[in-house]
Amino acid sequence: MMPLLMRLKIGRDAGKRGVLLPIFIVWVLLLALMAVLLPFVLIAAILTWLSGQGPWPLLVYPLLGSVLFHLSGLHIEIERSGENVLIAFL
Amino acid sequence: MNEERKKILEMLQQGKVTVEEAEKLLAALASPDEARPGGEKPANKYLRILVEPGPKSQDRDRVNIRVPMRLLRAGLKWAAFLPKHAHSSVNQALHEKGIDIDLSKITPDDIEELVSQLNDLTVEVEGEEKVRIFCE
Repeated sequence: MMPLLMRLKIGRDAGKRGVLLPIFIVWVLLLALMAVLLPFVLIAAILTWLSGQGPWPLLVYPLLGSVLFHLSGLHIEIERSGENVLIAFL
Repeated sequence: MNEERKKILEMLQQGKVTVEEAEKLLAALASPDEARPGGEKPANKYLRILVEPGPKSQDRDRVNIRVPMRLLRAGLKWAAFLPKHAHSSVNQALHEKGIDIDLSKITPDDIEELVSQLNDLTVEVEGEEKVRIFCE
């Protein structure tokens, strides 16, 4: 399942827990953008297919989908000189 | 001989367990992972990278990264986007670094095997900082 929330903590005074961002809004916007771009991707796929390179632009959608679907659990936390950066997908 | 081993052998002697059962129990004692059905280790879910300050380090810098194995697999599939004509130049660059890999011959099965082999990976480096890379 795609992550619905993103935990973000940047800086010294970001609090212990940081902020929870509703990342699902980004997915909705991304989905809309992908729908708008679909005709162009199809044209690009036809052009690359005709030039003998295969319809690889069509792979963008399933591969992007698989990356987004498996983002849950990704946790990146860096602490340097008291500065904190935390990005976690929940 | 530890107590558990001794008990298993006593149970075998008393006929409480069969030879096969005793063998399984002894194997489980030797390696808890091998006691699972099929002798397979459970698949790890995450690749962890930890950097912690060593005992002599003045810095308190820390890095804690947890990457889901599924995300790793999905990311590796992006290699399919390398145009065919780029394969030869990438292969050449790798060859110059002493790595003989033909990118065009890497299949999804190879990627799957590569990720599954990561299960056994454990890297520990101790210097000023302690670096640990492992799967969990």
